[in-house]
Amino acid sequence: MKLELRDIRHVYAPSTPFEVEALRGVSLVVEPGEVLAIIGGTGSGKSTLVQHMNLLLVPTGGEVLVDGVDARSLKQSELRRRVGLVFQFPESALFAPTVEEDVAFAPRQLALSEAEVRERVLESLRALGAGELAARSPFALSGGEKRRAAIAGVLAMRPEVLVLDEPTAGLDPATRENLLALILGLREAGVSVVLVSHDLDEVAEVADKVCALHEGRVRTAGTPAEVFYGDPAQAPATVQVASLLRGSRPEIDNPVRFGETLDALRALQGI
Amino acid sequence: MTSRTLGQFYPVSSPVHALDPRAKLLATAVFVVGLFLIDSTVGLLFVAAVLAALVAVSRIPAGTFLRLLRPVMFIVALTVLFQILFAREGVTLFQWGFLEVNSGGLRLGFFLALRILLLVSSAGLLTATTAPVALADGIEDLLSPLKRVWFPAHEVAMMMTIALRFIPTLGEEAEKIKGAQSARGADFSRGGPLRRARSLVPVLVPLTVGAFRRADELADAMESRGYRGGEGRTRYRELRFRKKDALALAVTLLVLLVGILL
Amino acid sequence: MENLGEGTRPCGSFAVSCERVSFSYPGSGRPALSEVSLDLRPGEYVGVVGPNGGGKSTLVRLLNGLLRADSGRVRVSDHDPATEPFEVRKHLGLLFQNPENGLVAPFIEDDVAFGLENLGVPREEMRDRVARAIRAVGLEGYERREPYTLSGGEKQRVALAGLLAVEPEILVLDEPTSMLDAAGRREVLEYLQVLRSEKTVLHVTHHLEELLDSDRILVLNGGELVADETPERFFSNADLLRENRLVLPVVPRLALELGFPPAKLRTAEELAEAILARTQSGTRAG
Repeated sequence: MKLELRDIRHVYAPSTPFEVEALRGVSLVVEPGEVLAIIGGTGSGKSTLVQHMNLLLVPTGGEVLVDGVDARSLKQSELRRRVGLVFQFPESALFAPTVEEDVAFAPRQLALSEAEVRERVLESLRALGAGELAARSPFALSGGEKRRAAIAGVLAMRPEVLVLDEPTAGLDPATRENLLALILGLREAGVSVVLVSHDLDEVAEVADKVCALHEGRVRTAGTPAEVFYGDPAQAPATVQVASLLRGSRPEIDNPVRFGETLDALRALQGI
Repeated sequence: MTSRTLGQFYPVSSPVHALDPRAKLLATAVFVVGLFLIDSTVGLLFVAAVLAALVAVSRIPAGTFLRLLRPVMFIVALTVLFQILFAREGVTLFQWGFLEVNSGGLRLGFFLALRILLLVSSAGLLTATTAPVALADGIEDLLSPLKRVWFPAHEVAMMMTIALRFIPTLGEEAEKIKGAQSARGADFSRGGPLRRARSLVPVLVPLTVGAFRRADELADAMESRGYRGGEGRTRYRELRFRKKDALALAVTLLVLLVGILL
Repeated sequence: MENLGEGTRPCGSFAVSCERVSFSYPGSGRPALSEVSLDLRPGEYVGVVGPNGGGKSTLVRLLNGLLRADSGRVRVSDHDPATEPFEVRKHLGLLFQNPENGLVAPFIEDDVAFGLENLGVPREEMRDRVARAIRAVGLEGYERREPYTLSGGEKQRVALAGLLAVEPEILVLDEPTSMLDAAGRREVLEYLQVLRSEKTVLHVTHHLEELLDSDRILVLNGGELVADETPERFFSNADLLRENRLVLPVVPRLALELGFPPAKLRTAEELAEAILARTQSGTRAG
């Protein structure tokens, strides 16, 4: 599906002394089968923005369009199934006696047959590399295992767009690499992924498009190369290195991912 | 969600706000006892006037204060109604079948209603003018003599302080968990009361488990910072009983005395 | 940023020493720590890395007495944490991973005072030490703020101030930045940098770039101490990194792949300079 946010404004606690304008007119598009990264500092509005994608938050102004149709006209349960949102530190919402039961929560809300539910549960757990955790209690797992179980719980809805808010926060490097591989795998399978992240090196590896927020507005948006080379001071390390060399060695071009940056640098030295 | 909206603390500066919380706690306790010793409506009205003056001095807007009384209005109305309908005293003003409205009933109803309102108002004034943390300190201090009879005054105060610290945090956590479960298709607004209660399980369970885990981590952190109960601890925050606090207590006693005599 | 007093410079043989320490969690099949021996000299800055479940958190808790070793000897500033934990905690401060659950009081300055209250420090002295600790982490003006209004980085700085107020010689940091965003990490690391020269520091982390300036790096895997290397040797040892599932940050990784010494090149600028230097000399020679 094509998910579009048009000129989204969001004001928290309007007409009270605590009023805060978190989003001041943000527009972006999530194309099918694409990984869109949303970056920006604390207070830029990233988390607020993505909660509009499944209308968990309703915009104060602007609209959310699913394939051109106003999302508010869709059935809420439909929308939430098609746009799956995973919060930061999602493992804090695990509640069932077994991982299997917990992951089954969302599919069960969809009134599927028990057989279908089981199939989805196993499918999602396997996609997260967590198949063997099915019978365990979610409260007895390690941090990385819990995270994977929680994400599986949303994936089991088979959403068309998966929104991940800082999915690798607090994780060890091994689990983080698994999650990044999952994101790429999902894209292969035609699922769009919206990735909110403060880790630019991570964004460099998986993003097709980048949208940079600042104080509730879009600062820049475009391909990773466009956004990062446009402002190398706030870019992943790969771009920083390459852009420093571009002046004297323009043949470097504009690599973003680790692999392509390494190749470009090697070619430079004539190794 | 702010801890200032918790309870009814109204954060302005006034002479009443500046009083030592222990003085205010004692004054309220004395006040409540005194109220039951007053047996004339005139006495109650006098005390009510003084209380109203105190509310004004505390710079709490009348509207805000009256809102504190709202939860209790139902009981007040019920009390008045009960007295009006079933008291058999004084001049009969109105009769309808076996129901009788008489002047005695009206007077008694009014008296009881006023007393209830004054009780709630005094508690309301206390919490509106005293920050929750100060209240906890005051309670700990007043209860500390009970340590001699093995009452865990320090532990109780510590629990109150920690609760105050974590209530906003747990509130945010609850919001987040609700959001996460909604995103998975949970619906908290459908069905009758039983169904709704069941739909809260995916929120209450993780919230509770999370709270226990927090408690564990907090306990580790406290121990790591040398906490070993109340023994040998000093206190950073200071409560100083000044002349004006003693004065406030004296005035309270005086007002009550007048009320009793009236 | 203010130094917290010259008198905190440690002296003596070892600040921390573990001799063949073993520990198993009750009900667990395999030991969390197995015959681990290590020493920290006063003033050293030592990193601890390794995969999750490898024993890092266990080690940290054995050092400050939250856990007791099943066998072996642990000494911290000449005290045994198992029998004298209160003494040890005057000399060793532990900064936890979760910035939220270490803050106990409703107001910042009260929280910073918590450790001093536990030690029975008189009130006037407390006020001074709290004020200095708050200054040392750059949070002047935050005294009456409430914890839930703070960012992750600010909360962690408050926790750090709480430790510093007690003036321990040894700081143990258990993944202090792993739950913070990039800005929070920078903040916290900035203030930790200053403390390096005054304290003995044991820093557990997954972010290897935080250890580029360390004196030594210890690798714990499967409850065993599998390596004890200088940063230079550590960062260049691809096998060691792989075997222990350690991931270098981007710049050192690029450097390693291109044949440069990774520990010497930490920033993008340094790497770019090194590459330019080599290609220029290469052109001249070729």
